[in-house]
Amino acid sequence: MPKTCLHIAFAIVIVAVLGVPKCDAQDKINFAKQILPILSDKCFLCHGPDGGKGETDLRLDSFEGATAGGAVDPGEPDDSEMILRIFDEDDPMPPEESKPLSDVEKELLKRWVKEGGQYTQHWAYVLPQKQTGSIDDWINKSFPENVDFAPQADRATLARRAALILTGLPPEPDELTAFLDDKSEDAYETYLDQLMASTRYGEHQARYWLDAVRYGDTHGLHLDNRRGIFPYRDWVIRSFNSNQPFDQFITWQLAGDLLPDPTMEQLVATGFVRMNPSTAEGGVIPAEFQAKNNFDRVETLGVALLGTSFVCARCHTHKYDPITHTEYYELLAFFNNTAESPLDGNAYQYGPILKVPANIKAWDNWTQLEKERDQLLKGLDKNIANAAVELAKSLGHWKSSNWKATKPIASTGERPEEKQWENIDRLPGKNGDLPGKTDQARWVSFEVEVGSKQNLALTFNSGPGPELFLNGQPEPLQGNLASLTLEPGTTKVELKLIGSKRLPLQVELSSLWDALREKKNWDSLAPQQQISLLADSGGELVDESKTKQAAELNKKIESAQAQFTTTLIAKELPKPRVTKLLERGEYDIPQGEPLNPDVPETMGAMSDELPRNRLGLARWLTDADHPLVTRVLVNRFWQQVFGVALVRTPEEFGLQGDHPTHPELLDTLAVEFHQSGWDLKKLFKRMLTSRTFCQQSKWRPDLSDPENKIYARGPGYRLDAEVIRDTALWASGLLDSEMGGEGVKPWQPEGMWSALMHPRSNTKKYVADQDGREFRRSIYVYWKRTSPHPMMTLFDAPNRESSCVRRSRSTTPLQSLGLLNESQRIAAAKALAQRLIAGGEEDQARLDQLFLLLASRKPTDSEKEVCLSLLESSREKFSKNLDDATALVGQDVNDEAEVASWTQLCVTVMASDIAIRLN
Amino acid sequence: MNPSDFQLFQTRRQFFGRTALGLGTAAMAQFLGQNEAFASSAALHHTPKAKRVIYLFMSGGPSHLDTWDYKPKLNEMFGDDIPNEVRDGQRITGMTSRQKSLPVCPSKYKFTKHDNNDSGVWVSELLPHTATVAKDLCVIHSAFTEAINHDPAITYIQTGSQIPGRPSLGAWLSYGLGNESEDLPGYIVMHAKTSFAEQSLFGRLWGSGFLPAEHQGVLLRSQGDPVLYLKNPPGVSRADRKVQLKALEALNREQHREFGDPEILARIKQHEMAYRMQTSVPELMDLSGEPDEVFKLYGEEARVPGTFSACALNARRLAQRGVRNIQIFHRGWDAHGNLPREHESQCKDVDRGCAALIKDLKRLGMLDETLVVWGGEFGRTSYCQGKLTKENYGRDHHPRCFTVWMAGGGVKPGITYGRTDDFGYNICDADGEVLKPQPDKHHWTPGTVHIHDLNATILHLLGIDHKKLTYRYQGRDFRLTDVHGHVVHDIIA
Repeated sequence: MPKTCLHIAFAIVIVAVLGVPKCDAQDKINFAKQILPILSDKCFLCHGPDGGKGETDLRLDSFEGATAGGAVDPGEPDDSEMILRIFDEDDPMPPEESKPLSDVEKELLKRWVKEGGQYTQHWAYVLPQKQTGSIDDWINKSFPENVDFAPQADRATLARRAALILTGLPPEPDELTAFLDDKSEDAYETYLDQLMASTRYGEHQARYWLDAVRYGDTHGLHLDNRRGIFPYRDWVIRSFNSNQPFDQFITWQLAGDLLPDPTMEQLVATGFVRMNPSTAEGGVIPAEFQAKNNFDRVETLGVALLGTSFVCARCHTHKYDPITHTEYYELLAFFNNTAESPLDGNAYQYGPILKVPANIKAWDNWTQLEKERDQLLKGLDKNIANAAVELAKSLGHWKSSNWKATKPIASTGERPEEKQWENIDRLPGKNGDLPGKTDQARWVSFEVEVGSKQNLALTFNSGPGPELFLNGQPEPLQGNLASLTLEPGTTKVELKLIGSKRLPLQVELSSLWDALREKKNWDSLAPQQQISLLADSGGELVDESKTKQAAELNKKIESAQAQFTTTLIAKELPKPRVTKLLERGEYDIPQGEPLNPDVPETMGAMSDELPRNRLGLARWLTDADHPLVTRVLVNRFWQQVFGVALVRTPEEFGLQGDHPTHPELLDTLAVEFHQSGWDLKKLFKRMLTSRTFCQQSKWRPDLSDPENKIYARGPGYRLDAEVIRDTALWASGLLDSEMGGEGVKPWQPEGMWSALMHPRSNTKKYVADQDGREFRRSIYVYWKRTSPHPMMTLFDAPNRESSCVRRSRSTTPLQSLGLLNESQRIAAAKALAQRLIAGGEEDQARLDQLFLLLASRKPTDSEKEVCLSLLESSREKFSKNLDDATALVGQDVNDEAEVASWTQLCVTVMASDIAIRLN
Repeated sequence: MNPSDFQLFQTRRQFFGRTALGLGTAAMAQFLGQNEAFASSAALHHTPKAKRVIYLFMSGGPSHLDTWDYKPKLNEMFGDDIPNEVRDGQRITGMTSRQKSLPVCPSKYKFTKHDNNDSGVWVSELLPHTATVAKDLCVIHSAFTEAINHDPAITYIQTGSQIPGRPSLGAWLSYGLGNESEDLPGYIVMHAKTSFAEQSLFGRLWGSGFLPAEHQGVLLRSQGDPVLYLKNPPGVSRADRKVQLKALEALNREQHREFGDPEILARIKQHEMAYRMQTSVPELMDLSGEPDEVFKLYGEEARVPGTFSACALNARRLAQRGVRNIQIFHRGWDAHGNLPREHESQCKDVDRGCAALIKDLKRLGMLDETLVVWGGEFGRTSYCQGKLTKENYGRDHHPRCFTVWMAGGGVKPGITYGRTDDFGYNICDADGEVLKPQPDKHHWTPGTVHIHDLNATILHLLGIDHKKLTYRYQGRDFRLTDVHGHVVHDIIA
């Protein structure tokens, strides 16, 4: 047990100076910690990496620069021009307009010169070194004298804290009880494992990542139209849940498309590259947005993975960090080869896109089907398979001569027989290929002739509600794909397509066997082709039973595919675009020679063996020799757990950022994270089992450390928007646990979107879901970038137009109104009230249950008193004013006055800091 | 210390004078630094000329050529291609760059010269009411920007950057000015109705970007609750809420006793303010106490919630109640075609309200301390987009010059500032010579007002030095005007 510190309450230790390490006069100056931040903040604007404004040659960002002209004479402060000038009363440096040096800073500079004026690299660009010692050792080491850890929080508090941090929800009562009753030594660890095994873990952890990559469901600019990229969000959730090694997680996102034979998931992950806000505003110049989209990508990469703001270097060499103007554009060159148009066409399917499962259950199902497919294929004898391919080839199955389609005809309208058909040359490939207006129903018809029984695939694009007729008979359709089993002879095909402005109407007829025209043998076929052929072979390839299995499986696969949605992915152009430095960041002032993709030198060179593309970039980022990435990530995970980060500027690790409060600890965690195989769950466990984490969060009377810089108390803060909303839904039992899929729309006040949006925007009308989807977790709430849900933005959620790795925690009156009046909270309070009433007769028991859910504990006596008193006055009011009770909770309840009274109490407790804070 | 931090320090100390048990000074300072919601303007960079600002934002880009910038010579060149030397390499949006010709397009509207305190100002017949307050206006003909499309341009003028992610002008003001009002938010945004909602608005235009979220603008809406979630749920009376809040406070106080985090006390205060807002906002919206003469001034449409006139009247009422930072967004100025039809309607929407607001403020003795700003994100071209006839035409976006007016709040009344060439295409010097090279944001040229200069000047009038109002983010001390901006002292009284 940690010893209590209360006995030293008289001596209040002020921790204001923390961040600057304890150092007495005898300690040698630490350049990186003490001097470089001063030089950067006060001198580099004119004497920094960009060489200043041309008025001076003096550079103070290197030893050579500082000593060349005598600004610094090592060991001789009195002969050093810099020192003389900073103490000069008549003509001091920095000049009047700039930030002045404090006396302490001046003295530090003087001492530093006296001690030799040596330079070392900025800490964040030096590789992290692992040190021996646990989290608690390093934390303990930084405590001022006579300060020890705070006492350990009680187990229930700890249970709630851990559950909120790991899963974004309080613990389920039965899990809580099981943990409290578990007297074994590893009870807490078991409990943490359980939390991390819950799918809620990924749903919560993904949210931080989505903030960092600015995930949104709309394009973000101008019309701010819908964008179909939620499968990326679902992939992120699944990835956290499966504890995918984080280096892989990063690599897939940056370059999944460049991996050999990329899987569907690897491609979905590249949605990261496509996450930039985009526009198709009338009259915009494509080259301008090609540049802006790339700026956004470079700068997001900087914040999210490198803890570096590159914005300065867009226009000129960085004022503070050693990042040149050229390097910015070399980094940009990695992203300048993606195939999408710089303008989004206001399209949901802003290509390149990929068809993928539409929610997490569908993903799980798909993964299962893939597994079954691979197993089935594995069971095949390859020799037989190859021989069978030869046989099939000789039979000429795949030859188009084996089937023939007539030239298609087309018409518009609801029923074809009423319409005039007109000839069209070929099956349509784009909108203009068919007569009629885009939003009308259109018909395409043709005849197919086959010599022997055959399966042909008919694929097409259509809005909702396409229809298919074979020889005049309706044929059930699942999605936009039909497998036609054709008997020998001629079959008349009529296909009704629903036009859509944003969707090219395409129809394609193909034989499964076409694949064999190019791929000469079995092994070179993709698994999906193999299984289709196997299913279609009628036993020509192997035995009947395998064919039957394959056919059944294929049917399942096809029906799964029929439910697929689409997602934006990255694709590389075969021929790279030319990237040049842009003067002042202006797209129309390119300068100099074309630049090759490369990384900023100060962050470590890129090995010659790495390809100069996004994949090479990802490899460089995840290499053991990268000074920044693991530090940046570990720092943010620490922030998620402790509420505040070791580097208090998680978005900036450069010279202008904060120094880590515990540099050795940060480094050790970073190295270990790498060595563990980028195992996040392991890292979390390490943090959450530390004594540092388990302390009480009570502010200590013996310490003045409002920012908790020395971590001598546990984490305590107001919860995030998502957690506040989810907790209310969860406690009430309304929470819909369905995972993934298109963003959901909880009720929001009328007119929030229409008051802002262009009449042609497809996000001007907000239609709230009413089928239970509105009660899904907030990670699934539809994120319209120009107007996110107000219950999110009121509680500091970012709009996701740009990367956010640290949310503010504000306190406003509007939050109060939201907590007490918002419809969904009232609905949750009512459901919770009903749940409590159903759960017990006694007020006491109901109250216990309420607190168990929201606070993971029983109410204190005074809380009980407050609650019962509120309950009594509510009962008095509502029993006399039944109409009010009905107004509040509706007529579909048994005892309106009772439900209304409890609803009032539930709203109140849910709005209190008991429920909306973590302690 | 940032000015707001300083004020906070003051006000917060008052706030927590009684309750800051056992907290060290450093703790308090730190805490204050993080929560500026209750700052007041105790400390600014210099003595402010204006106490508050009402910004009337005309989204879409009003045609300066049909409203404020009188160019009679265009009539002589009706339909001629605009000379190349006038365009002088100016980039053109994709909407007109493929047009075969760029024919000169004079305004069809009659302009009249109105007396001001200088040599008079020409105003088009589209703005008869505003013309009557010409003596109060400082009409700037030489505002300019670089952006040529709406989204980047409006984001630029409202946040100082064409790319989203920065705090809005209003949020910076909130951060710098704090809030004087005890029962209303310090930064209020209204959206006025229009018949031509042809542009989008974005949350970022009043968003807080990387500033703490309490600085985001609070929407005062004409539909539903005027402030989001203002009304109690049905069946819950004000008395019920009071009981409820008492319980809530007791619960929170116990939390504070238990955990000692001053944030909890701050929240108690915010619950109290919310409770006050539940009466102060309806009281604000209730116009029944306004005498008939007010509606004569603003027009009967001021009784219809959401009209520009109603918003303008609300702005005045907000100003009276201590709100210092008010914005009205009016959309629909993007007249690529059918400009006459659209601009006639647009001007009719706002003209009366603009004039009424100024007269009203003046009548109440508030104009001197209230800065009123009117303008859009760019101007419109002097060549026609689409088919040109004498009666009908359209105009594309034009960044090189546009008109903005300011009034009250320490601005010189009754003057014009800056001038443009005979085409209303380029900014000229005092002698009428087109400025060569074109003015840019990097160096201020007398007689010009880049949008950064405009914002620097607005801040200055409110007592804020745009170079000193900074916020450290990503290691950089960000400011509204980026590394640009020049206070245009020429227009300050």
